[in-house]
Formats: sequence, C-alpha cells, structure tokens
Amino acid sequence: MKRKAVSRISLGLSLVLLSTVLSGCTFGFASDPDDPNEIVREEPIDTSVDTFQYDSSLKGTSITLLNSKAEIQVALGKMAAEYEKKSGVHVEVMPVTDGDSPYTKIVSLYNSGNPPTLSILDTTDVIALAKEKAADLTEEAWVAEAEGYLTEIDGKIYGFPLCIEGRGIIYNKAVIEETLGEPFDPASITTLEEFTGLLDRLAAAGMERPLSLAKEDWSLGAHHLQYIYETYDGTSEGAQEVIEQIKAGQMDLASYDRLEQFLNAFDVLRKYNVSVKDPLGADYDEMAIDLADGKTAFWFNGNWAWPNLSEAGADSGDAYGFLPYFLNNDPSDFANQMIQGSPSKQVMLDGQMASEKEQAAAKEFLNWIVYSEIGQQMLVKTCNIIPPFKNNPYEPGDPLSRDIYDKVHEGRAFNASAIVPNDHWSVLGAAMQKYLAGRSDRQELIDSIQKYWDEQK
Amino acid sequence: MKSKSNGKDFCVFALPGLFCFVAVLIVPFLYGVYLTLTDWNGVSREKHFVGLQNFAAVIRDQQFWSSLLLTFTYVIFVVVIVNVLAFGIAWLLTRGIKGQNFFRAGFFTPNLIGGIVLGYIWQFVFSRVFVSIGDSTGWSLFEASWLSDPIKAFAALVLVSVWQLSGYMILIYVAGFMGLSEDVMEAASIDGASGFVKLKNIIMPLMMSSITICLFLTLSRAFMVYDVNLSLTGGAPYGTTEMAAMHVYEKAFTSRQFGVGQAEALVLFIITACISGLQVYLTKKKEVEA
Amino acid sequence: MAQTQVGGNKKKVTNVLSMAGLIVIFAAYMFPFVMVVINSLKQKRDIIKSPFSWLFTIKGLSFDNFVKAFTQMDFLNAFVNSLIVTVSATVLVTILASMLAYYIVRHKNKLSKLIFALMVASMIIPFQAIMIPLVSIYGGTLSVLNHRVTLIFMHTGFSMAMSVFMFHGFINGNIPIALEEAAYIDGCTHMQTYFGIVFPLLKPIISTMVILNALAFWNDFLLPSLVLTDKKLLTLPLSTYSFYGTYSADYGTIMAGLLLCVIPILILYVVLQKQIINGVVAGAVK
Repeated sequence: MKRKAVSRISLGLSLVLLSTVLSGCTFGFASDPDDPNEIVREEPIDTSVDTFQYDSSLKGTSITLLNSKAEIQVALGKMAAEYEKKSGVHVEVMPVTDGDSPYTKIVSLYNSGNPPTLSILDTTDVIALAKEKAADLTEEAWVAEAEGYLTEIDGKIYGFPLCIEGRGIIYNKAVIEETLGEPFDPASITTLEEFTGLLDRLAAAGMERPLSLAKEDWSLGAHHLQYIYETYDGTSEGAQEVIEQIKAGQMDLASYDRLEQFLNAFDVLRKYNVSVKDPLGADYDEMAIDLADGKTAFWFNGNWAWPNLSEAGADSGDAYGFLPYFLNNDPSDFANQMIQGSPSKQVMLDGQMASEKEQAAAKEFLNWIVYSEIGQQMLVKTCNIIPPFKNNPYEPGDPLSRDIYDKVHEGRAFNASAIVPNDHWSVLGAAMQKYLAGRSDRQELIDSIQKYWDEQK
Repeated sequence: MKSKSNGKDFCVFALPGLFCFVAVLIVPFLYGVYLTLTDWNGVSREKHFVGLQNFAAVIRDQQFWSSLLLTFTYVIFVVVIVNVLAFGIAWLLTRGIKGQNFFRAGFFTPNLIGGIVLGYIWQFVFSRVFVSIGDSTGWSLFEASWLSDPIKAFAALVLVSVWQLSGYMILIYVAGFMGLSEDVMEAASIDGASGFVKLKNIIMPLMMSSITICLFLTLSRAFMVYDVNLSLTGGAPYGTTEMAAMHVYEKAFTSRQFGVGQAEALVLFIITACISGLQVYLTKKKEVEA
Repeated sequence: MAQTQVGGNKKKVTNVLSMAGLIVIFAAYMFPFVMVVINSLKQKRDIIKSPFSWLFTIKGLSFDNFVKAFTQMDFLNAFVNSLIVTVSATVLVTILASMLAYYIVRHKNKLSKLIFALMVASMIIPFQAIMIPLVSIYGGTLSVLNHRVTLIFMHTGFSMAMSVFMFHGFINGNIPIALEEAAYIDGCTHMQTYFGIVFPLLKPIISTMVILNALAFWNDFLLPSLVLTDKKLLTLPLSTYSFYGTYSADYGTIMAGLLLCVIPILILYVVLQKQIINGVVAGAVK
C-alpha cells in the first residue's frame, strides 16, 4: 500500500515535471520577439563610444543593489549586465517585493548580516538609516552635477539622487480639443477659476465628469496633502519650516492659507471626479484606460503613470502633459504656474558591512551612471528615468516625463520635497479618504492633521 | 513502551522534532520578548534596556485597542460561519454522493491560491465584477464597491476569510467523518424528523476531536489575519478595517516604533492564547464526556 | 421491505436537494478560480474593462501571459528549487512530527504534556513577532541564511507544532495500543514497531498533512523572502515578484504565473486524495 502511494506520488510529480518541460518547449517556440502586443518598446542603446575610465583593480568584485522601484527591475538588470561587460564588476539587482516595504526589507537584511551594497530607498528611509549605516558620499564627483537635488544630513550627503519625479494634473490634449471642438493651450489655464471653467465647459460639451481621482492613501496622503507643506514657499527648506511650526504648535492650521486653498482645490477635483458616486471605489488601472480612451480628460498623478497609460493604449507621440495643482485665483502665485518636481528615490551606499573594494566598486557604478555615455543613455532610455544630473544630454521618451523634463529645464517646476515621517501617507491618507468620501468635514480633517503632528513630538 | 527506555525513546522519537521547533520558534520568540524591553529600533547597533516603557505605549495606543475590538468581532463571525459551513459540506461530501472526490478537490482550491494574490483577486471581484453586475442588474447591493463602505468592507473580509478557511476545515472534517465507523455513518445518513437529534446526539460527540481542532485553527488564524487584510482592504476605507496583526506590522515598520510593535504582537499573542486555551479546554471536556 | 423503499425514496429526494445545494455553493467557491483562469488568457485592458467576458469574445485572447510569466519567472529553475524545498521539508516534518506526536501520546508524563502545551500555544505566535529576531539570529549570529537547508529546517520547525497537533489527535483517537503490545511481545524494538505497525496506520492523516504542509511550503512567500536572496535559489512564489509594480500590478501575468505555480500542487492533491480514501478503507477492513 505504502509503496503504491509513493509510486503514485512520484508518478504524479514526474508527470508534472514532464508536462512543464514540454510546455516549456512549446512556449519557447511560440514566443515571438516581434510580437505587436509587446508593450515595452525599447530605444536602442549606442555602446560604440565609451570614454569612461574603469578601475581594473576592481575586476571580479561582486556587489548587490536593492531595488525598491519595481517598474525598473528588468531595466536595472540590463544596466548591471552592461556595466559588468565593461568593468568586470558584477552587480546583483535584488527586488523589494510588493508584500513588504523597502524599509522592512532593508531592516531585515541588515539584521541578517547581509545588507545590500547599494540600496534604492525613499528619502525618509535614507535619513533614518544614514548616520548608522550609510557611507559618506559628499566627496563624490557627481555631487556637482546633481546640485539642487541633494539631501544633506548634518552637512553630509548620503544619498545618490536617482531620478526626478513630478506630479500634477495630467491632461489628454487630444480629448479636450475633440470634446470642445477648439484648440487647447495648457498655458492658458492659470488659476483655479479658469480650471473650473474649463471643467464646466467640458461638462457642458458632454463629458460630465472629466477627471479621475485616485483613492489610494499614498496618492491622497502624500501626493495631494503634501502640497500644503511644499507650496509654503516652493522649497524643501520652506516645507521643513512649516512642518516645524505645525509641530511646535506655532501654526494655526485652521487659518493657514495654503491649507484652505488646498482644500478648495481638492473640492473642485472632488466635484468633477468621474467616480463621484463612489469615490473610494475608484480603480487605479481603469483611470489610465479612461484617460487614454477619452472618457476623462484629466487624472491627478505623476510621470510614473506612463506605463499604465501606455498599457491602456496611449502612444508616446500623443500629447499628454501636466497642469499645476491650482491653489487659488492669483495668476502670479508660483503654485499656479509651476508643477512640483523633485528627486524621489535615493541610492544609499552601505558603509558598515561592505568591504573597501565593494564600496569602491559601488562608487564606480554610480559614477558610471552619471558620466559614461552608456550609463547616461541607459538611465534615460532603458530605465525611462528623468535624470537629475546636469551633464546628462538625453531626454526622456514618454510625453509625461518629457513634460516634467521640459518644465524643470525651463524653470516651470518647483523643487520642494517635504520630509515627513514614514507613516504620514498612511495615517493622513486615511483621513483624506474619509474627507474624499464626504464622511468628514474640513474641521475633522484639520484636526486629524494637527493631532498627527502633535503625536510626532 | 515502558519507562526504563524512556530517555532513549525521548532522544529518538521526540528530540529531533522538538529541536527544530525550539530553534526556529521558541528561541526567536524569547529573543523577541527581550526586545520589547529595549529601545532597539530594528537597525541601530546599540539597544538600551527601557523596562516596560513599550508596554505603556501599547496601553496609550488607542488604535491598537480599537483594531483589537474589530478583530474580536471578525473572529466571532469567521469562526461560527466557517465551522458551520465546513461541517455541513464535509457531512454532505462523505455520504457517497456522485462526484464527491471532484467536489472535495474543488472546495480545496481556495487554499491553492496564496494569501496576497488571493486578496488581489477578490479586490478585483468586489470592486469590478460585482460593480459591473450591479450596473447591469440595478441591484443596490452591488451598486458601489463593497470596499468603499466600512461595514461592507468588513463583510467582504469575513466573506473572503470564510471562503479560504472553510476549504481547509472541510478537509479536516472530511477526515473526521471518514474515521467514523460504517454504523455511525449509516445513522448519519438516515434523514427525517429525528435527523437533527441524531446529528446532535450521535455524530457531534464523535466528531468532537475534529471540532476541537477546527475551532482552534479557525480561532488562531482569524486572530492573526494579515495577508488577506493587507491585500484585500489594506485597512481601507480610511483605516476602518485595520485588524490587530496588520496594526502591529504597521506600527513596527511603517511608523517605525519597533519596540511598541513587538510589544503589541506579544499582547495579541497573550490574548489569543488565553481565548484559544479556554476553547480547547472546553471542547476537550466534551470529548472526554463522549 | 416497504419501509426501506420509502427510506430509499426519501434518501433520493434529500440527495437531489443536497446535491443542488452543493452545486450552488461549489460554484461560489470556484468563482474566483475560474476568474483567474479566464483572465490569465487576456490582456490587461480586457481584464479591467470586461473581467466577465468569455474567452471567445475577446480579441486579445492569447497565451502571451503564460509565455511572459514562464520566461520572466525563470520557471524551470524556480520549479526545481521549490520542488527540492517542498519535498525535503514535507518528508522531514511528516516523519519527525508523527514520531514526536506518538511519543507524546504514549508517554503521558509531565514533560510530554509541557511540550504539547508549548506547541499548541506556539501556533498562535504571529509570524511578524518573530520575523526580525529570526533573521538576526540566523543571519547575524549564525550566518546561515541563503542556503536551501536553512529554509528546509525553518519550514520544518514552523510547521512542527501544527503537524504534531494533528498527528496527536489522530493517534490518540484511532490507533489502539493493543497492536503495539502484541509487537513488543513478538520482540520488536520501538523503532520497528513504530515504522512497521503504527506509521502505516497513520496513512489518512499523513496524506492530509502532506498536502497541507506541501501546499504551505510551496506557496509560502514571507519566510523564503527572508531566507533566500540568491537568484539561483528563488522559489516559485518569490520569482513572481516582478509582476507587481509599485503603482500597479500586471494582472494577466500574475494570474498566469499563479496558475503555473498552482498546477503541480493541484495534481499532488488529486493523487493524494485517493490515498486518503484508500487509507481509510484499508484501516476499516483491518
């Protein structure tokens, strides 16, 4: 009996094995590299010119890179492979999976005594870990190229700014023009009133609710609400200052003009929200489809939304771009003229466990990204990133990134990032959800914000 | 087995298994308990002894207690529905009806889909499929996504947990029913006015050991629900469906109060241990009587 | 005679009724799984806009998702890793847990009672509470992470309590001591008695525990993600990571990947299910 059971199990398992092997073969043949359904269209990388000076003593070194930006996992792997070809340094790209946060992952890796040499983290994570774990990068050459995008901690630099990300109200130009039957110039909208007028006209022309509003707490708690800090004066220092004031109780939130303006703007978005009947039932992926299809004309989001739009059928030649998050009716207010764009992910170098050679290899890899012709190209074309480095001549290929890129270079973007505690987005994101759903009023929302900061002392 | 070779028996039979268990579970657990008495934040090189400070913070953390209250409500719903349903289905599946093997395999399929993916699929079902049913039929129940209303989102959590856990429990109840003798099964299959009485007086007592196991498993799993909570509702809408285990995790890693999170996990453990201990004690007593 | 016929008719009616009820509940149970199968063959756009539509009405129907999942997961390598870990840990825990449970049942002393109580209590420890201590002990102090053996050992340890608990219940209720005493009289050692007489009788519960444990090991994500970081060692669930983005997930590929992961374990279940029944029948005959 027992033997029979065992043989049956092994038979079953070998069948499985066999069938997967077989199917593996057929899959292999079925896969067509020129498949028109393939969404990722990659720009070719020119590797013919390479003037970067490689340190041959580092050959054979192996380093690890923890990646918390899941959408560039494959691209980073390609970049690492290219770098290895040239330098002989192996870079193993490790993912942070959806189930856990980058911080959880890095904490468990440090505890396991096996931390990554380099890790791509959020700025708050770098601040939390810097003094204890990170290597000082102040003396690196690329620091000069990234001026304005660096985060200093006690006068030192611990993070390599990987990318600039910007956010605002994404528009689909073609859809607006088609609906209104007239040309649309995004620069013609300069105040909240004008924006509301545009929404009304779209509604009158048949597009009843022209705007998508994500219900996700990271969108509401971080991307919306943080405007109240970032628009204080449009700088990171200003954002820090207003946060300190709120914490210290010196700022009366109820009479803080930016908060009131923000809520006015948010109320407009709320009113024209395509899923106004059930705002917390809105689906993120559907928003991309709606915008690409022309069911809506606007979506509040950032340039990271491009892969979603592209999957939904948008073409990189289409006219998509950003409008500012209009806060009031004063056209000269910078908040109505500029969109927010600032570095979002930082690369930290482990200074605690990594050997000197590993650290040197990691530093070379970072310099390679900034200075080598191949690294520059791959950062922009393969990873589809807006580089914060002045010397990088390449322009991003998709319309959203290109718009951010242009605005940054034309001075129509403000670089302010509020450094808030890590649970800010989740705690206050919940408060914002409640407000979005109409289950709390302004007073309750303001009280939650005040309470949150009171607890941070 | 007589007691003279007790020591050798212990080494051969009990020790290997016990070693794995202690090394993987008990030692880290005790180390974790020690960490609740320090100010360690998860990354720093130094830790300082702070006594019961973290536990004082647990008492002050109102959200923890409200998440615990929610967990209690959830546990009651899940435990009752899962066990009634699984017991009933297992009973039907051991009466020799056509295709019962097929059914048994089918009821087990929810278990094949791991925690996080499972939540995504259901999220998709609740926010898209149900809403599209609502659109075409006009049923007000499906008009809006369940996940955007605190009470319906809670119901969704219960539903998904029942869906997942009952498959597991059906398996155990089926094994229990099949362990019963033919006579008893015959008695169980005779229907009529006295069917329920027979079920209560004959079947239930004999099934008590399966019931003990299933109750215990559902109870402990429901108390520690995390995967489904995270991926189905993520605490939404506005934090109203955040259960205790998820709160603990958020506290430790999102709010970065590692010691407090660890202490809350310990409190959750103690409460769950007391309740399931009581349950095992009570149902075991019934087993002995039977 | 007449009575049995009436009983038979009644039985038929209730059988039909319960069959109907069963089918309805069954359909509800299978619904999400069916959704997975259907949508694994569609493109993301169709998944989101028309999750319900059947295969033949969709223009984008294709096996692309499977191809993508298969290659991106490095399926064969991950499959072999999963197989090694799952089979070793399942075999280990089945043998060790059943022996430990047997010891506890047959030695009703204070020590075994304490062990059993400890095990039952440990089943309620939230994994989050021991996650960080676990990696700091095994990674920081012992430096044994990133080995399959470590993962197998941990799987065994974590599933020990539950398995002992289940074996304990079964041995306690279903294995009469008389058989063993007869064996001792024949001069068998404890080991011979256990593996010759007791272990075969455990077949129903072994089948149950094998499927439950194998399933848990096969699907587990959190523990392997803490233990294994080396690409060559990744198990199937770990290899599906890249389908989840920060802002949105690649549903079609996820579902295809999920099916690729699930099919082997589904077959194991179907095979073992027969064993559960055979085992019980054999037990009843004896």
